[in-house]
Amino acid sequence: MHRRTVIKNLALIIGGAALLPACMQGNGKASIALKNVDISADQENLVGDISETIIPKTNTPGAKELSLHLFVLKMVDDCYKKEDQQAFITGMGQFTDAVKKKYDKSFAGLTTKQREEMLLSIEADKDPKNGVNPKELKTFYGIVKGQTVNGYTNSKYFMTKQVVYELIPGRYNARFPYKQKQSA
Amino acid sequence: MANLNIDSVKDHTFDAIVIGSGMSGGWAAKELTDKGLKTLILERGRDVKHNKDYPTTNMYPWEFEHRGELPMAVQEANPIVNRCYAFGEDAAHFFVKDNEHPYVQEKPFDWIRGYQVGGKSLLWARQTQRWSEFDFEGPARDGFAVDWPIRYKDIAPWYSYVEKFAGIAGNRDGIAELPDGEFLPAFPLNVVETYFSGHVKSKYSNRHVISARCAHLSKPNQIHLDQGRVQCQERILCQRGCPFGGYFSANASTIPWALKSGHATLRPFSVVESVIYDEKLGKATGVRVIDTNTKEAIEYYAKIIFVNAAAINTNLVLLNSTSHRFPNGLGNDSGVLGKYVAFHNYSAHINAEYDGFKEWTTDGRNPAGGGYIPRFRNVYKQETNFLRGYASGFSAYRYQQRPWDGVGSSLKDNLVKDNLSGWKVGSHMMGETIPKESNFVTLDKTLKDQWGIPQLKISVDYDDNDEKMKKDYIEQLTEMFTTAGFTNIKASSDHRAPGLDIHEMGGARMGNDPKTSVLNKWNQMHAVKNVFVTDGACMTSTSCQNPSLTYMAFTARAADYAVGEMKKGNI
Repeated sequence: MHRRTVIKNLALIIGGAALLPACMQGNGKASIALKNVDISADQENLVGDISETIIPKTNTPGAKELSLHLFVLKMVDDCYKKEDQQAFITGMGQFTDAVKKKYDKSFAGLTTKQREEMLLSIEADKDPKNGVNPKELKTFYGIVKGQTVNGYTNSKYFMTKQVVYELIPGRYNARFPYKQKQSA
Repeated sequence: MANLNIDSVKDHTFDAIVIGSGMSGGWAAKELTDKGLKTLILERGRDVKHNKDYPTTNMYPWEFEHRGELPMAVQEANPIVNRCYAFGEDAAHFFVKDNEHPYVQEKPFDWIRGYQVGGKSLLWARQTQRWSEFDFEGPARDGFAVDWPIRYKDIAPWYSYVEKFAGIAGNRDGIAELPDGEFLPAFPLNVVETYFSGHVKSKYSNRHVISARCAHLSKPNQIHLDQGRVQCQERILCQRGCPFGGYFSANASTIPWALKSGHATLRPFSVVESVIYDEKLGKATGVRVIDTNTKEAIEYYAKIIFVNAAAINTNLVLLNSTSHRFPNGLGNDSGVLGKYVAFHNYSAHINAEYDGFKEWTTDGRNPAGGGYIPRFRNVYKQETNFLRGYASGFSAYRYQQRPWDGVGSSLKDNLVKDNLSGWKVGSHMMGETIPKESNFVTLDKTLKDQWGIPQLKISVDYDDNDEKMKKDYIEQLTEMFTTAGFTNIKASSDHRAPGLDIHEMGGARMGNDPKTSVLNKWNQMHAVKNVFVTDGACMTSTSCQNPSLTYMAFTARAADYAVGEMKKGNI
């Protein structure tokens, strides 16, 4: 089968999946093809919710709109060592358990404030020896955080609308006056 | 030859054969075809046509699947080339992968290679400094290697010749140990680099911080436009290949120039197995090539042969060119072929900060990379407990700090805030290493590559002189940084293997005496007068300048001599 046909069919399948009732998606696979890690649709949604908490939609696009969670999964699949991929999966389970234990709910069931509180508590847990959270959980969160921000600051949206990247500067001014810009 | 009919011999016969199409091979091809010689250019890799074959050159960061990072599978499969700074998602296709051409490391050696038309000239760091009299006289004065058979005055006009064509940006700094050249306007130093330059000048009579000289068209002349190249646009994405031809590469410059002459034939996918030596004629008659697609062995013939396969591979070709007359490699009467290999010591760095000039920054990007500190140790006389010295890079920069702490809209705000750092400064060491008989390459007796050619065994290492020199670099730069008022000074020393500098040199060195060298003062084999070696293999010593400009000058000079000798009927 031609690659394009495959992709087209895949798009139809994914499109179809979106129409299924939420309860039917539990056994579904992630919406992008992954070679090295096994991610379910639920797990993809969890990563999406975490990414969206990190980079939320405000008056500018958020993580889901920019597909940053899919970029996170793509990077996990392609650019990490096997042990980090395993820690990512293990840590994701630990994260789910920790949320359940703390709030008696899934991450999806939390308010935005609770979601932020949960993520900030992991970020605050910096001591590698006396950490509160298991190390795989921290690896999992570290990857989601790092790659969400990496994907965001290297997105077409960010590099054309926020901090503009110049492919062809056409100049080098060695002595350029600087005055700090006040943020909007 | 017996199985070829007369016509096919004729089809396979040229005036000149150039082995390799990179930095120096491109120059050999240009010079020989300019002089009207029918020239065959052999390249072991694929063709890379200027612009057409630069697939990533106009890609934006977000267009790279992994935003510039290479997949872990690629990194893990290529531990050697993965250590090279330029081996990323945008340029990996121009590097040889570890399994493509295996070699034996008797001692760790990171052999970084680019097998394609243009070779590593697509990927180089583009720094171009002339050698001076102090460099050529080094071995004789300090009693190592052998005396260079030439002096600065012999090569100076050829530096000028290649600089005009390649296009070198720089200032006429008037420093005896780093002679001025034919320069296009320099890329200026920024405020902190200028401050440091002034500080160093006031404190040390013989130390200079100058604009790095580089092969970029800061202001092209007609000769550059004639090559189809235009002004450098300060993209600093050079390793992808430049659509403007803004920096010098064989692909943008010498190879298309040679092809345009109508006298050149370019044959990619052609690994040279050996140079053919005719015992009766007492000269080389051609080369034996393995076609990498068909694995077929093919012979080509010519009156003169330029070996420009890149330093280590040139050694491989010559060592593998054995005959009754030369059982240990072509032209190897002296027994030094493959020996006295040296490199540059890049294993020390120093970083610091400067709390001043906050009202200044830079705008755009600097293709030169900043400043350059020519060698100041042991120039006029021996003054330290080690031989020779080092050049140093120096640059100052500010960058947007993007704190990643926190989540939500405050994080989004922080990521776009103007949060420019103070000035950071950094330097890296470029040390001369001393060629020694014990640093060598040789052919493995049993292992072969996929083309049936023996694998190279590389045995090259640092020595005590390198350690002492590194210590001095760290001490001197620390002192210069401290007195300049730089703070938070951090020197670091890594344990990189030789080779990662990508400045490997020697093995077929030049010298006056055929008993101790392979090439004479014209880069011509002492024992086989129609074979010339003008890539890094010819280097008698390494000095500490980036070597490419010197290879270009040697090549143009040797080509001029070779054609003169042909006309006189001497070869």
